[in-house]
Amino acid sequence: MTAAIALRGVGKVFAPSARGQSPFVALDNVDLAVEAREIVAVVGPSGCGKTTILKLVAGFDVPTSGKVMVNGRPIEPPGPDRALVFQSPALFDWLTVADNVIFGPRHRGEPKTDYLARAGELIGAVGLAGWERHYPYQLSGGMRQRVQLARALINRPAVLLMDEPFGALDAQTRSRMQELLLRIWAAYHPTVLIVTHDVEEALLLAHRVYVMTRAPGHIKSCVSVPFGHPRGVDLVGTAEFAALKYSIVKSLWEENA
Amino acid sequence: MRALTRYTLLSWATVAAILTAWWALTALGFGARFALPSPGDLAREVSVLAAQGYAQQPLSTHVLASLKRTLIGLGVGLAVGIPLGLWMGTSRTVFAILAPVFSFLRPIPPIAFIPLMILYFGIGEFSKVFLIFMAALSYVLLHAVAGVRSVPQDLLSAGRNLGLTRGKLFRHVVFPAALPHILTGVKTATAISWAIVVAAELIAAQAGLGFMVMDATTFFRVPDVYIGILIIGLIGVTLEFVTRAIERSLLHWQGR
Repeated sequence: MTAAIALRGVGKVFAPSARGQSPFVALDNVDLAVEAREIVAVVGPSGCGKTTILKLVAGFDVPTSGKVMVNGRPIEPPGPDRALVFQSPALFDWLTVADNVIFGPRHRGEPKTDYLARAGELIGAVGLAGWERHYPYQLSGGMRQRVQLARALINRPAVLLMDEPFGALDAQTRSRMQELLLRIWAAYHPTVLIVTHDVEEALLLAHRVYVMTRAPGHIKSCVSVPFGHPRGVDLVGTAEFAALKYSIVKSLWEENA
Repeated sequence: MRALTRYTLLSWATVAAILTAWWALTALGFGARFALPSPGDLAREVSVLAAQGYAQQPLSTHVLASLKRTLIGLGVGLAVGIPLGLWMGTSRTVFAILAPVFSFLRPIPPIAFIPLMILYFGIGEFSKVFLIFMAALSYVLLHAVAGVRSVPQDLLSAGRNLGLTRGKLFRHVVFPAALPHILTGVKTATAISWAIVVAAELIAAQAGLGFMVMDATTFFRVPDVYIGILIIGLIGVTLEFVTRAIERSLLHWQGR
């Protein structure tokens, strides 16, 4: 079976932005795979190239070396099969919740009855039923992220790419969003590649966690998370969870030294 | 709500204070009567003007002459300036070609071109309308360029990620995201257009509020000078009110 996402020996070098600077090696020989219906998290120190990985998979950038494959095919320009969820909600402020959610399929000219039905279901699934006609300025930060999640999922993406999706939320909203993502996964089994600096979040959500080194970023280790699904936020209180978290945090600590 | 009415009340109090001070000054005989007519003189003159018009033309002709010049020049200026600005904001090539022209023209006060306009086009309607057109164009263009440039990168990425073609990305992401800037440009251009029409009419016109003020000064009809200025001010305030209302309704999603 081919992995939903596969990076093989991927390197990314950015040209110097000013004279006298040397080129910046963001990624060095990265191997990474995400199976279909799997949640994979990437954690690493800041500036290790986590987000660069997402940009490569999303098609916003091309690797300097190596291969990035989606469903066994080389990546194409950006498209809705690799739906991005940004850290900032990046909603279209002039559109209602419902119009934000249907934005992609509507402007790609898909049949209206089809996407309207899916939108109704997804808006319910992310807990925004009754808010369809509201505008983003009327929503809280957590609610905006829910809209963004529904806007991504309506495209039935091969993979959901999440870039620190809950990083800007307060602690309580964050854990509620993490639970929501787990529920969404239990209902739809999307393939998810999530980048985060929060080890606890990675362990709570993911089946596997890749730990990266500092720049030039490469994969330091890959941890299989032994906890079964369905999971809940109470998992973080167990001794096993704490031990696993400690080992990863320690591994990252060495990178920041 | 209570605070709002309190502030509104304060604003009306200022108006009342000015009117009272004006009346008191003229009643007490301060200032030469020919330079500062009393409120009563003005009120009487308003009814005379309303009945007889000014310079053998009804008052409405003067008002409409100024408004027509403004709205035509402004309308064409916006119709050309907004698309051109959006294009300049989107294409670096177009920006590179046109930026020198507008960067040079913008800091020059538009009224500095009045003599040239008269030289080129005479003192007819066209020279005034063209001057307003140029001013409106250059102001709205500047804001449209800034609007396109201010569209957050994440929004563009989101649009591309959702599979929009270049054309649709422009129509459904760039344009609405740039709209707040564009409307600021429209507001500025409207205010400036009204200022320019009056200035242009002061120098060369057979009708219009600027003409009326200038002509009344020449013939020493001082109350008419004041009335002309008051009407210019009232229309200016109305134009601002209208453009603000348009802005508020188009940008209701900003939640202000």
